[in-house]
Amino acid sequence: MVIEQAQQLDRAFFALSDPTRRAILLRLSESPATVSELMDPFALSQPTISKHLKVLEQAGLIETGREAQKRPRRLSPTSMMDLADWIEPFRRQWDARLDNLEAHLESVKKQEQ
Amino acid sequence: MSATTAEAGFSLDRAANTIRFKRRLAAAPDVVFAMWTQAEHVSRWWDPTGEPLTECQIDLRPGGAFSFATEAHTDRPFAGVYREVSPPSRLVFDAMGSVGRVLLSEAPEGTLLTVEIECASPEHLEQFVQMGVAVGTAQTLDNLVTYAGEA
Repeated sequence: MVIEQAQQLDRAFFALSDPTRRAILLRLSESPATVSELMDPFALSQPTISKHLKVLEQAGLIETGREAQKRPRRLSPTSMMDLADWIEPFRRQWDARLDNLEAHLESVKKQEQ
Repeated sequence: MSATTAEAGFSLDRAANTIRFKRRLAAAPDVVFAMWTQAEHVSRWWDPTGEPLTECQIDLRPGGAFSFATEAHTDRPFAGVYREVSPPSRLVFDAMGSVGRVLLSEAPEGTLLTVEIECASPEHLEQFVQMGVAVGTAQTLDNLVTYAGEA
């Protein structure tokens, strides 16, 4: 299970390492879109868009919905949470450190007064 | 999808493999610069737990080394080499395979502090944060032990 999570994180990072895929995610964060709706803004061919979408889907970053004949892609909310969870302890560590810096600055200022 | 939270002053810039922290501090840039570069000051705030450092060595010049050891990890100090020392606005160092930048600029009521940690690649960023996570987790456990001991 732990190894599976690590592999999923590897895939997510690989997917995010490409600027076009990051742009697609940004676009999907606004609203779901089909392959043809994604072709226009990115000026890419249908196979190229599909290839990027496949990488994003395998990384668990997006999902494919179903609306009549359409198959709109949308962001998968849980996968972005995984990434956020993963970085959270690091953020907390630095926040605590910078809180200390602020408190120390205050105490130095008081001593000088 | 951006992990940016403006109010918290933390952002993950995946395009630049950089983690960025921003703070406004109520002191002039030269005072804040001293906090980052003088051992007696660094020693008082570096450890996220708030404990003073057990070791704090600073050779403040480009190419000079530094080493900060916390009580919990005396054997694994945060060590590196200064790359640029430009008071009161810029301090750049190499540490743990990443580049750290401390950028200070004058703000209306003091200083805007930006701390950047730039990794070589997304893989490295991942590795780096995982190390941080490991340290953070150890710290949480340490705190728990301390708390349990006091209770």
